[in-house]
Amino acid sequence: MFGGVSAAYVKRAKGFFLWSLFIIIMILSFRVSSLDIKTLVEGFSYSVSLIKEMFPPDFSSWKKILLLSTETIAIGFWGTILGMTISFPLGFFSAKNTSGNVILYNISKGLVNCLRAIPDILFAIVFVTSLGMGSLAGVLALAFSTVGLLSKFYAEAIESMDRKPVEAIEATGSHGLGVIRHAVLPQVLPLFMGYNLYLLDHNIRAAMVLGLVGAGGLGLELFTQMRSFNYQKAAAILIIIFAIITVIDRVSARLRKDIINGAFLSRENRYKDGLLLLVISVIAMLSLYFIPVNFKEMAYGIPRIWEFLKGMFPPDFSGITVYVNLMLETVGMGISSTFLAVLISIPIGVLSARNVIHAPVIYNIMKEISNFFRAMPELMFALIFVAAVGLGPFAGVLAIAIHTAGFLGKFYAEAIENIDPKPVEAVEATGAKFIQRIRHSVFPQVLSLFNSYNLYILDRNIRASTVMGIVGAGGIGFELVMSMKLFEYQKTATLILIILLTVVLVDWLSSYLRQKVV
Amino acid sequence: MVRIENIRKRFNGRDVLDGANMSVRKGEAVALIGPSGSGKTTLIRAVNGFVVPDSGKVIIRGKGINYRNKESLRHTRKKIGMIYQLFNLVERTSALENVMAGALGRLDNGVNLISSTIGLFNREERDKAMELLKFVGIGDKAFERVDRLSGGQKQRVAIARALMQDPELLLADEPIANLDPKTSRKILELLLRINMEKGITMICVLHHLDAVRDNFSRVVALKNGSICFDGETYTLTHDRIHDIYEFEEDTECLVA
Repeated sequence: MFGGVSAAYVKRAKGFFLWSLFIIIMILSFRVSSLDIKTLVEGFSYSVSLIKEMFPPDFSSWKKILLLSTETIAIGFWGTILGMTISFPLGFFSAKNTSGNVILYNISKGLVNCLRAIPDILFAIVFVTSLGMGSLAGVLALAFSTVGLLSKFYAEAIESMDRKPVEAIEATGSHGLGVIRHAVLPQVLPLFMGYNLYLLDHNIRAAMVLGLVGAGGLGLELFTQMRSFNYQKAAAILIIIFAIITVIDRVSARLRKDIINGAFLSRENRYKDGLLLLVISVIAMLSLYFIPVNFKEMAYGIPRIWEFLKGMFPPDFSGITVYVNLMLETVGMGISSTFLAVLISIPIGVLSARNVIHAPVIYNIMKEISNFFRAMPELMFALIFVAAVGLGPFAGVLAIAIHTAGFLGKFYAEAIENIDPKPVEAVEATGAKFIQRIRHSVFPQVLSLFNSYNLYILDRNIRASTVMGIVGAGGIGFELVMSMKLFEYQKTATLILIILLTVVLVDWLSSYLRQKVV
Repeated sequence: MVRIENIRKRFNGRDVLDGANMSVRKGEAVALIGPSGSGKTTLIRAVNGFVVPDSGKVIIRGKGINYRNKESLRHTRKKIGMIYQLFNLVERTSALENVMAGALGRLDNGVNLISSTIGLFNREERDKAMELLKFVGIGDKAFERVDRLSGGQKQRVAIARALMQDPELLLADEPIANLDPKTSRKILELLLRINMEKGITMICVLHHLDAVRDNFSRVVALKNGSICFDGETYTLTHDRIHDIYEFEEDTECLVA
């Protein structure tokens, strides 16, 4: 008994300390991102009035929108194709079991990790400054960020394959490429195809906002209309974007399912799926028209990339105090937005869990809401919130919070749908009310999983906060873009170093904490 | 205390309960036996409303259970403790927190509802939960996470949670089926001690006939959804057992 009580006191003291630390960090974060109940309420009413101004949407320039949409899809498509082509060998080089060479393995893995740490919009800025405005910059930016993601997915698929067939082919005396062709590829190809589709889906969404920095597509038009207060025209573009994203999301989800369970291009679907592939290829070829690959300009561009890289040395540390403060603001935005996202996602998650809410109408509506939040790029939300609540970190916090509430809502719902129903029944049998049952039988089961998701989202949100400045939504991003536009590459270098350092630190801290909570 | 009148329940086109009748007096301890699929679990789940019978009724303290009204069903459950074969505890939290969940039914309005939802329990409830953990014999494990406890300890936590409700009736659904013989005997002794000392009425679904013989004075046997034996344990002869468990060869060894 005595031992139990003293253990309880130690636990309580430790808990008190951690909670105080947590609360202090929260308060500081809320202050730097000017987040409080008053601004939230105001922000809500401003957003509502902005949405009112968007009605009725003005589709008068539909021809232009249609043309730009096709360009956007083309950017996403060719960015993916290019990225895939580079990722394919890189995936094999950065997989432990197929790399064959330790040095090659480490170099490719390091390269992939670096590429993944840099947001696609930063690549876009680099290519726009060196190659000029236009869709080619967009394609290259997406290709680079695709390589960062896709090579990692490929490598993971290769590393987790079954070793036995590989050994069997090796036993026949086959050469290395033969092993890859006949033992490795048949195992990993369906997975690869699934990832490719996922990336295509992701890249078309990303292409929607690349225009914000001049890398082609619908984004620039949206930006221009928002800036010139043509909210009805902007609404038309937003609706088109949402329609495209929804259609592509659905098609890609269905195809991914078919590929994984082997129905794609199977005997009975072969004509239908073949036709689909043919249509896609024809559209893709036609879409090349939108991406003027001007070799002369590229020839000029490549030395400019080199100049850009050379111009970064030596980094200029004169503004370091300002930058560090801005980085702290950025981290604060990441923390506040995660907190807000968690608050929004808990009801969404609970209400979209099938085993808690027995009404399909409610959980389906809730799932659609989180789909919508997840599908719309956060920079687009940021653009809208900047118009609604004004420039500054608060707009960025709202945008990131809404977007990631879509992720958390989905993760939470899936976690709840996987809980053990037995304790839930036992607590119900004691005569507890609905909310008590959620608190005492559902939450204890999912809490550590929720925390692990929250930490993952926190990590991601701090990274996302670094680019919010591009649309004036606070953080270090504004300074970064300005330094590039003013050709002050030495300052750019310092800013990138600070960002990378923070990203690495946060990544390390978040994975350490994630291990602790599970 | 409990009267079960002519309960019928069909699941997937099969009559699981086919007009079962029984009644239990206050303070009594009854063992419910019968072959697998004879409807034992369904019967006791009808008593706390997790199974809604197609016809017939369950009367507790003179009041019929209203299965349609969720709120009145909840009030009925407050005074019925349930103990499960697989313990049904929240594994990731401490023993104490699991026990305190038993108080949720009475902390159901005003400040109590809010504080219990946040996860704060008042001193009295906390002390009571500690007392109960001591009573069931694991006072020193109060702050241990449940997933670190043994099967027997887990079942003790579950019993303490049921006692936390101040129940008038305890339902136990094969409480010892997942425990080793020695632990089984201790858990059963604990349940019977609760019945004797606290005067809590108990219905206990059991598989082990020798455990029934040693501990219970009254046995009710179910077969194909209706009661086929109800009486003093010593009148449960070999032939009757054969009748109850016919075609079931596994149970032979239990009888012997």
